[in-house]
Amino acid sequence: MDMLLAQHLLNWLVQGSILALVALGFSLLFGVLNVIHFSHGDVSIVGPFVALAVMQYLLVEILPHTWASALILAAAVAIFATGCLGVALDWLVIRRFRTAPAMMALVATVALGAVIRELIRMLYPQGSNPQPFPELMSAQFEIEGLSVPISTLFMFAVSVLMVAGLYVIMHRTPLGMRIRAVAQDRDIARLMGIHPNRIFAATFFIASAVGAIGGIFYASSAGLVRFDFGIQLGLIGFSAAVIGGLGSMHGAIIGSLVLAGIDTLAQATLADGAAYRLVFAFLLVILVLVLRPSGLFGKPVFEKV
Amino acid sequence: MRPPLLEARDLTLRFGGLVALDGVDLTLGHSEILCIIGPNGAGKSTLFNLISGIYRPQRGSVRLEGQDITWLPAHRIAAAGVVRTFQTSRLFNDLTLVDNVVIGMHSRTRTGVLTALLQPRAARRELNTAARRAGELIRSLSEDLYERRNTLAGALPQADRRRLEIARALASDPKMVMLDEPSSGMDDRDTDRLIADIRRIMAQRPGLSFVIIEHDMRLVGAIPERVMVLDYGRKIAEGCYADIRVMPRVQEAYLGQKAAHA
Amino acid sequence: MHGVDITAGPMARRQTGGVVQSVAIVAGLEIGGAALLRTFLLSDATWVVVGLLAVFGAAFAALQIRPRLEEHIAVAFREMRLFALLLGCGIVLIYPFLMQGSSYALHLLITAQLYAVLALALNFQLGSANIPNFATAASYGIGAYSSALLAIHFGISVWLTLPVAAVVATVFGFALGFPAMRTRDTYLALVTIAFGIVIHQLLNNFTWTGGPNGLAGIPAPSILGHSFNSPIILLGFRLPSQANFYYLAAALVALSIVCARLLHHSRVGLAWNALRSDELAARCQGINVVWYKMLAFGVDAFLAAFAGSIYAFYVSYIAPDNFTFLVSVTIMTMVIVGGMDNTFGVIAGAFLLILLPEKLRIFDDYRLLFVGVVVILFLLLRPQGLFPQRPRNYGDH
Repeated sequence: MDMLLAQHLLNWLVQGSILALVALGFSLLFGVLNVIHFSHGDVSIVGPFVALAVMQYLLVEILPHTWASALILAAAVAIFATGCLGVALDWLVIRRFRTAPAMMALVATVALGAVIRELIRMLYPQGSNPQPFPELMSAQFEIEGLSVPISTLFMFAVSVLMVAGLYVIMHRTPLGMRIRAVAQDRDIARLMGIHPNRIFAATFFIASAVGAIGGIFYASSAGLVRFDFGIQLGLIGFSAAVIGGLGSMHGAIIGSLVLAGIDTLAQATLADGAAYRLVFAFLLVILVLVLRPSGLFGKPVFEKV
Repeated sequence: MRPPLLEARDLTLRFGGLVALDGVDLTLGHSEILCIIGPNGAGKSTLFNLISGIYRPQRGSVRLEGQDITWLPAHRIAAAGVVRTFQTSRLFNDLTLVDNVVIGMHSRTRTGVLTALLQPRAARRELNTAARRAGELIRSLSEDLYERRNTLAGALPQADRRRLEIARALASDPKMVMLDEPSSGMDDRDTDRLIADIRRIMAQRPGLSFVIIEHDMRLVGAIPERVMVLDYGRKIAEGCYADIRVMPRVQEAYLGQKAAHA
Repeated sequence: MHGVDITAGPMARRQTGGVVQSVAIVAGLEIGGAALLRTFLLSDATWVVVGLLAVFGAAFAALQIRPRLEEHIAVAFREMRLFALLLGCGIVLIYPFLMQGSSYALHLLITAQLYAVLALALNFQLGSANIPNFATAASYGIGAYSSALLAIHFGISVWLTLPVAAVVATVFGFALGFPAMRTRDTYLALVTIAFGIVIHQLLNNFTWTGGPNGLAGIPAPSILGHSFNSPIILLGFRLPSQANFYYLAAALVALSIVCARLLHHSRVGLAWNALRSDELAARCQGINVVWYKMLAFGVDAFLAAFAGSIYAFYVSYIAPDNFTFLVSVTIMTMVIVGGMDNTFGVIAGAFLLILLPEKLRIFDDYRLLFVGVVVILFLLLRPQGLFPQRPRNYGDH
């Protein structure tokens, strides 16, 4: 029983931390741009697809039999490429909705998500089918009878590191200061010699790259990836960010842990819990929004009149 | 004794650490005009937002003819006869002038979904009557505006926007109208027209009261019987304009910067 | 449009040059439009379809270049309202007889009409009041499932299930609108998304809804002993059985149009427009914003449920995947492309988005991509849609 509990706890932490990588992107983008980037989930799922493609190329053409290094290289390329994709999307589409009503930006990015999904499906060979995605590390070790896959620990550790890294970037580096300045007040930041457009690009790069890591972990823990995984990843990641309070970094993390916790709890305690996981997750979203419209850690917004 | 039209007591509101309004009292009689002046950030608009139910006070109360309206939702306060304009005018830009004013009559008209669907004739009659009245109301303010009544409000120049906002506010036959800097963005000629408009409205609608936030000292000197001065969320003076303008505290807080324009 | 009085009756009337011209305009547009649509429906050749699209595009461009044309048309339709109405009804009634017995064409028309109803339903929210509702498909599904379950398990007459399903969906609609009391914009949108997913998942999981397999064997309605599954034989003409549902769907579209127009031109429609334009200012005009938002949810669900019921009886088989988030997004696209708060535009949007992908089979694989790109382009280049909202006309006063 204890072992089962430990298994669930581990599962919860890993799921929650993967989710946090995506949720953080939503929160960061909203905090800085005041725009909901609804296709962020789909952008994140581009990561594993690029990684797969690069890895296959590497294994066939350049580095046969060097599986581990191919994976690391592929993941690095994928993370960078996804970051660039985020910047490109901002430049092509999203920046044009910066001054538009919130609803238009929302609908536009929902449509953008469909475009990204369809492009993955068409551009990736046999993109309509699920693609097997390798485990990051195959070994596992045992602690007191509990078998722990190393990849799980690895994903957890990387997620924690990324979150810590984001905190350091946001609070300790000049770039982070500038990002926060733009988030506070775009016009004043501009007066201080900060180019908001560059900051937006940087924010998109960071959010999308971190999202790509989340996407790769998501695919790896599921063992496969399909072009439309981004919908669910995006919806749950966005929900986590909203539950925590959009714009709040620790809110996004706690929101992710709460959602992952509900999911784990449902699967652990109910016979057909797996079937109802989304129901519980989204009922919680509705509940939180109704009781605390600005999320658990978001600041209530005072409308300026 | 008949209670005053509006009586606000001890209104207090903080945003985080910032005190926006600190124990302000305000009394307004029937058929009275009160002007509120004070430097930027003194809490003038906050006072309007508290009275109209957009913000909620942390302390204090607002009474309308003796009835406590402090916690009524904004739309009920409007329906009770307390309407306002905004510092940066908030018209329904994508609707026509007539539509704007007809919406102002919302609390004086009745049609709901069922009436609209099941008694379409009655609904239509009500709306057409409202539109005709809206036209007359616009015409009473400006013939020029009336000519443009079926164009979109978003295309109006600044002074006309202010005028239309006043028309929209009057459409509900209110007991009091709060005007938030009605002359901002107006030149002298427009301000003179505004002063004349307010006087005419006062004459046409006995019992109607105004609270006006104003920067333009010509208007403040010309219209109200009473002026109230806010500074840093506190009331620092109240009285007639002639007395107020010579008070050292007021000059220090406010007129010091603005006296040159007066 | 700027500064020009575009609804002044007498002025505009003088420009049209009489009744004859008005009749010609109305008749020409209605008959011409019907003829073009017929060619479109019955043709298989891609070049015909592309050609018709070009005609449509040219007509639209003409309206853009000469805004006066639009005014002439609007005035003509207003003057000849009764004639336009009767002619329109006549065309709709005889239309199935012109389909050369093609059940495929009728099927497309039924689908397009049901989506037109859904789009009109959503328009009460998205178009009139600017409330993003990503759960129209859920109301559509609730309507379909309610009717189907009542008809299958309790043998209740199909005609009786229609209002019951509508009431059930309306209750859900109000419940969905309830969070509007505390949330708005993006947050409200997320509530509707969450609601849509919860409903879809529940339909997928419950055994009494048939799980992922859905419900099959939904009985067809019948009227005066005439089953909707049998062909219509009239004056020697034989219409495929789809014609039954074509007329039913057409009646529902008519009902929706009447609702849309009555509500638009009432205090309710104005209140919705006010809160679309500026919610805070609307509150300060005495409008109970929460109530009007919930009302919009209720009306949306009511109409969508009718569409759902008729869909269920038409295809006799429904499954949760007919009512997904993507269906909601598609309906939203119709409203945006057609034109927010313009009844004709919304219907046109629904027809375009249903018929075009069907006919452009070569693009079959790119359908969603096409929809996505179209939405983004529209939001960027023409956010008001193909046929923008028109100012209200209060007659001469």
